[in-house]
Amino acid sequence: MLFPTIEFAIFFPIVLALSWALMPSQPLWKPFIVLASYVFYAAADPRFCLLLAAITLVSQLAVVAIHRTEDERLRKWFTAGGVVFDLGILAVFKYYGFFVTDVSDVLNSIGLGMPLPLVTIALPVGVSFFSFQAVTYVVDVKRRQAEPASLLDAAIYLSFFPHLVAGPIVRASEFLPQLREPRDPDRVAVGAGLSLIALGLIKKVMIADYLAREVVDKVFAVPQAYSAPDAILGAYAYAAQIFCDFSGYTDMAIGLALLMGFVFPQNFNSPYRATGFRDFWRRWHMTLSRFLRDYLYIPLGGNRKGRVRTYVNLMLTMALGGLWHGAAWNFVAWGAYQGTGLSAEHAIKGRLGRIFPGWLRWFVTFNLIVLGWILFRSTDLTLFGDYMSALVRSGPATLYSVPVVGAIALVVGLQLLPERPMEGLELRIGRVRPLLLGAALAVVVLIVGATVPSQGVPPFIYFRF
Amino acid sequence: MADPNTPRSTGSSERFETIAEMEAEARPGREGEPHGDDSLMGRFDRWGLRRFSAWDAVKAVTLTTLLLVIFAGGSIRAAADELKPGLGRDIVKAIGGPAGWVADQLPFAETRRDLTSWLSPNQQLTGQGFRASPGGPGRPVAPLPTTPQPLHRVLVTGDSLSTPLDIEIARKLADQGAGVQVTRDPHLATGISNTGLVDWSKLSSTQAAEDNPDAVVLFIGANEGYPMPGPNGQQVSCCGPAWEAIFQSRVGQMMDNYLGGGVQRIYWLTVPTQRDPARKPIADDVNQAIRGAAASRGAAVRVIDLVPTFTPGDSYRDSIDINGRPTIVRMPDGIHLNEEGSSLAADLVLQAVSRDFDY
Repeated sequence: MLFPTIEFAIFFPIVLALSWALMPSQPLWKPFIVLASYVFYAAADPRFCLLLAAITLVSQLAVVAIHRTEDERLRKWFTAGGVVFDLGILAVFKYYGFFVTDVSDVLNSIGLGMPLPLVTIALPVGVSFFSFQAVTYVVDVKRRQAEPASLLDAAIYLSFFPHLVAGPIVRASEFLPQLREPRDPDRVAVGAGLSLIALGLIKKVMIADYLAREVVDKVFAVPQAYSAPDAILGAYAYAAQIFCDFSGYTDMAIGLALLMGFVFPQNFNSPYRATGFRDFWRRWHMTLSRFLRDYLYIPLGGNRKGRVRTYVNLMLTMALGGLWHGAAWNFVAWGAYQGTGLSAEHAIKGRLGRIFPGWLRWFVTFNLIVLGWILFRSTDLTLFGDYMSALVRSGPATLYSVPVVGAIALVVGLQLLPERPMEGLELRIGRVRPLLLGAALAVVVLIVGATVPSQGVPPFIYFRF
Repeated sequence: MADPNTPRSTGSSERFETIAEMEAEARPGREGEPHGDDSLMGRFDRWGLRRFSAWDAVKAVTLTTLLLVIFAGGSIRAAADELKPGLGRDIVKAIGGPAGWVADQLPFAETRRDLTSWLSPNQQLTGQGFRASPGGPGRPVAPLPTTPQPLHRVLVTGDSLSTPLDIEIARKLADQGAGVQVTRDPHLATGISNTGLVDWSKLSSTQAAEDNPDAVVLFIGANEGYPMPGPNGQQVSCCGPAWEAIFQSRVGQMMDNYLGGGVQRIYWLTVPTQRDPARKPIADDVNQAIRGAAASRGAAVRVIDLVPTFTPGDSYRDSIDINGRPTIVRMPDGIHLNEEGSSLAADLVLQAVSRDFDY
């Protein structure tokens, strides 16, 4: 079930009202919210609910076992068991096809047959997100940073519908404490919640989908047919599209959770105002950055084992982070590109700021990030090569229009504005009376709805990951 | 009793006025430590953010819903018709019916349409919708040239099956440096048997008139099987000879719209067998209808039969051998072709096109 659909518009008001009605009675509220979340998930494919339930059960078993023993060796084994199961599910459903195709090519080239069947496996929506959350649960308990929850609380944590299919990746230690007692019905951030939902809808439907339709899908489909002016526009348009698509989803997820009394971690913080790769990853998909840092980079040794090992760890972390986005070599290459940027920045740490002014660092960073997005968006490395050729091919500009250029400028420009006035505006909106905001949300939905093409709202980009 | 709008003390985060201040506090000395205070979980508690009651939240969302029913209740009803059969559709239908009725009784939906129609990205379709009576070629078609003609424009269209086929055709023609302009016009989730989202009779007329293609490549059939009105006005359900005859008539009308609109050749792809056995009778009727409609229109319509290539013996498989290399050619849904499969289908299309056109 997508957020910007009629099905969800029917589902959410009912669940919201029942959720607050049942909230004082936790033995009723908890099963209800698990049921509602599974109904939400079953709308995609009811069979995938079994997978979600399996991950919940096995993670809970691992967590209970870890908690019950003080033997560090046993704790490690239980942790490994839970993590291998969670990531194993991800590996089978997401990477099997990628793995067998490449292995099959290699084995066939040396005259050996492929021992595994060459079949496709449907990717359960959201598996990349909830499997990572399950990992945080197991590891946080192992590290004694979170207490084991009841099975019901664990089920709510992993299935809670606002974050179920595309994050943000909420750590166990951030969400489980919110389940310890009923959410306070007198302290709901209604203004922030409604305005985030409206903002998310506008970003996704009016900007991201518009740019995809008018520019991005055309140029990236056949870059050979376009020349430099259009290819440049396509790259900037995709940068704006992917930000609005993913942060739009996140805004809606955070807004919906707020209306239900829950807080999710921040996932975006004006990423296109970054003045370096490190700064970018502190602002872009922040919950994934933190996951990669805390559960991969630091366990690998982080920056504590010498310069060379730091670079290796950065490259490995980012390449695997790239692979998390999709089972394709372009994502691995994109991750390696980001790792190279981070390593290079680490190597000249501190000197950049002294040598180059802030605006120049921003300009270079922004354009390097946009260059990386070309790799990210190209479905294979051949297409990436074709796109790079288009970037230097002379020819006419055919895709420029005032709304397209205006939308890109708006997306990037708003992130460059000073932070304080923008946050002040958010606070002022947050103070408006809820009924007025409810009416405003209806107007936004009607306007946004009028811009939806007849075939409906395209899925969020991150639904594929 | 405390005023619910007054911010309560909830911890240290109230000390901060901006997110930047919270971040600055969170960062120093935390690098390398797991779970530093860097998730900004307290950002909604920072000074001045007003809180309301849960009842306010429910009232606000209810008001949003009511306004949507009043201004767009008809859209909810229409959306139900476009959903795939199942419980979800039944629920939307149960709510969409009364919502549509409410909207019909009030003048607001019309006002909303007047105010927002200019924002719609949808093409204005011209031409006639599907006619119910089956028959042969409806419009006179220009005689086919005896020698290959130059190819300037190709339209690749259909439902979701037509993409990424359209991309593969466009790339292959671009790689050949043929200078052929390829128009890609996929209409996802649409079907010939379901005119709810788009009427393919009108769309085919519009495409022929606006895109002016020399050749049309059509790949459609993933969303078929809907009941259609028969010649006597009664609804005919899928599948069987009666449904197939109506579908063939519709396919024929589309072919005539293209050919009558100046298109020289149509390349219509059949639907390869799908994984779900329940879809087989639909695909069989669709393919038979395509073959039947094409047969009565001579060489102007070429049927590119994908069944023997992708599903020999009419049995579904995820992978086939391409140039001696086992290759996955289907998407995980067991319906669509993936990029490799679409590339192979594009080769089959271009082989046929190269026999009819010079490029």
